[in-house]
Formats: sequence, C-alpha cells, structure tokens
Amino acid sequence: MIGFTILLTFFGIIIVAFASITQKKLADSIILFMGVGLGSVVLFFIFNAPDVALTEAVIGAGISSLIFLMALKHLKAEV
Amino acid sequence: MSIKRTLPTSVLSGFALSGAFVLTILQLLLQNIPKDIDRAGDSLLQLNASEGVANAVTTVVVYFRGFDTLGEIAVLFIAALGIGLMLGENERCVIKAQSNFMLHTGAKLLFPIITLYGVYVMSYGHLSPGGGFQGGVIIASGILLLLISHRDFEVPHSFIVWLETLAGVAYVLIGLIGLLTLDVFLGNFLPHDVSQMGLLLSGGIIPIIYIIVGIKVGSEMSAIVQSLIKRGDNV
Amino acid sequence: MFEYLNQAEVIKYIVTIGSMTLFFVGLFGLLTQKHFIKIFISIATMETALFLFFIGNMFNKDFTAPIISEGFTDIAKMNDPIPHAMILTAIVIGMAVLALGVSMSIEYYKLTGNTEIDKMNEMRH
Repeated sequence: MIGFTILLTFFGIIIVAFASITQKKLADSIILFMGVGLGSVVLFFIFNAPDVALTEAVIGAGISSLIFLMALKHLKAEV
Repeated sequence: MSIKRTLPTSVLSGFALSGAFVLTILQLLLQNIPKDIDRAGDSLLQLNASEGVANAVTTVVVYFRGFDTLGEIAVLFIAALGIGLMLGENERCVIKAQSNFMLHTGAKLLFPIITLYGVYVMSYGHLSPGGGFQGGVIIASGILLLLISHRDFEVPHSFIVWLETLAGVAYVLIGLIGLLTLDVFLGNFLPHDVSQMGLLLSGGIIPIIYIIVGIKVGSEMSAIVQSLIKRGDNV
Repeated sequence: MFEYLNQAEVIKYIVTIGSMTLFFVGLFGLLTQKHFIKIFISIATMETALFLFFIGNMFNKDFTAPIISEGFTDIAKMNDPIPHAMILTAIVIGMAVLALGVSMSIEYYKLTGNTEIDKMNEMRH
C-alpha cells in the first residue's frame, strides 16, 4: 500500500503546483502554494523523516507563505 | 460558441526548453539508480549512542556539524539585516481601522498557547523531533498573530537587538570554553552519561546550544515580520 | 498491483520521475510568468522538488526514524541522520533568501511602479 500512496500524493502535488502557477489572481496562487507544502509534509512523514517534516510544515507552509501574502499589500496588487 | 485560443510562442518555447532540459537529466538519473547505498551515518549512529542523546539528527546538527549551524545563523542574520535596511520605516503611520472583535479576543486567547508550544518544542529538541529552528519560528508566528490583531502592539527594537546579540555571543563563548578545556572547538565539557538517555538534563551542552539557537532564530524572524507588516491606508 | 508497487526499485522510479516532473513544472513557471511573486513561487517549488528527491531515495521500508526511545533501540535498522541535517539547513536558507528577494522587489516597486519583468528596461536608453 505504501507505493500506491506515494504515487497518489505525487499526482496531487503536481496538479496543485501547476494550478498555482497558472492562476490569474495572486492570492489564489499563494494559497495553492501552501497546498504544495502540505503535500510535501505528508511525503516526508511517509519517508520516516519527522524532523524534516516538522521544519517544512513550520517554515514552508507557515512563515514563507505569510511573507508572500504580506508583500501583496505593499505591491498594491488587486486581491 | 467555440472560443479559439492560440498559445503564445513564449509559452510553447518555454515548454520545449524546460522539457528538453528535464528529460536529459531524467535519462541520466534513471540509468544510475543506486542499489545498495553505502551509508555514512552508521558510525555516527554508534557515536551518538555514547553521547547519551536520544535524537540522532540533533546531535549531527549541533555537535558533529556545529560549525555549519554557526554559518547558517550568519546567513539568517545577513538576510534580516538586509530586510531591516530596506524596509525600516522611521515614523509609525496612523492606523485608521480597528480590527474585528472576534480576531481581537481570539488572538489574546491563542498567543500564550502558541508560545508555550514553541518553548516546549525548543527545549525537548534532543528527545523527540523538534529543536531550535522549529521552536523559534513557532514563537515568531505567534508574534505575527498579535501584530495583526492589535492596533498599538509593537515589539521594542532595542529588546530584539539585545536578545539577538547576547545569543550570538553566547554561542561563540561556549565554543571557546570547549576549546580551552578540551582542545576541541564546541567540545562537550559538561558531564554526559549514557545512563541518563531520555531525561531532560542529558547530553551535556547540546540542549543548551539548541536553546540559544532557538532564541536567536526567533528574534530574527520577529524582526523580519515586523518590518514587513503594513498598517493603515497610507504609506 | 499493490504488491508490484511495493518493491524497492519501483518506489525509487516513482520518486525520481515524480520529483523531476515537479521540477519541470517549476522551471516552466520560471520561464513564462511575468509577475515578480509568481517567479518567486516557481523558485520555491523547484527547491521543494529537490528536497523530495533527496530524501525519497533513502527510503527503506524496514527502517525506522533515527530516534532512540522505548521499543526502538535497534541501531542497525535506523535511517541515516546526515541527509536530514543537510536538508534542515537548506530549507531555512531557502526561506531567508526568498524573504530578501521579496523585500527587494517591494523597494523596486516603490521606485518605478511596475511589477512585470517585461517593462524593466531602464538600461536600454
């Protein structure tokens, strides 16, 4: 069952990453980038690496995406 | 009713270029899939068991490769310096809108829990997954929550400066004390018994260094986040 | 089919092809998009693909995480802790560089007022 789970998660990550790049609005693009981070946390947990999973969850889906969102207000982009 | 869209040539050429590049690399990688990897970490795992620390990744980051962690902290410091230089505003702008009542009350309830969780992750880094980097960033995200919801909240700049300076100096001082007593930079000069594996006070200087790293990373991320926040409607 | 997918070589094939496809998606976004923030998101996606490739190739079904606790004291059957430490450093440094790049683009917008790389032609006159 592990191989099938890894295959499905990779499919999900690739589809969400492609959708995040080809969006018109910028806020949607950043929120879908958080989905890529979530998928990679699940994959790191399956690969028996708990330290890397915790770091990617806190930094990739936490602070990094929030820095992008705060920059949107400065750039006066239409949300 | 049928809309005909033609792809611009930039998209097609980007597709072809990146596809060619990735296919070349992929063909090289698929030919040389390693069957039996010679692991470099076998000897490190056995050395780690004699140090008395339960988490092997913490020992590698702080003790065996402690100099790399010092360089990483330097990179974070340079990034925070650059951001503070470019975006630091000299006057505080007047805030026009009061935040939502639910956000105001909920943030006051959540901030102590987030800080407690961050301190727990930071101090149990040598017994379970976690450590200084993760705990510091958790505390910084709690401070971001308070910055968004309260009008007049602001971490004083001199406080962040002193905390960061003392943490950085303490890291190098501990390394120099190890050099004086054991002839090894960042040597383990506190007692570390194997019989104490699993307790909070075990491993010598390893939890102390990780807490210092956590304090420094947390204060740097708070400074970065505070420079980027923008309040009010005028610049 | 589930037993065929559980073998070690097939999992390495899946990990290699999947992470390189994610790298390809990020590279495609880097070459065709025009806004600053989308270029930074593409760079971050490429970095995530590399981390997945690095850790996925050390995967072994019978091994456990490198932490000693009650019930898991067999040292010979633990994962390798060195790649985990390297990826931890790489994640933090990637985030720091991205934050610096975002602040530079904010300063550029304050000076000239455009956010697309097509219109950055001050050096052409």
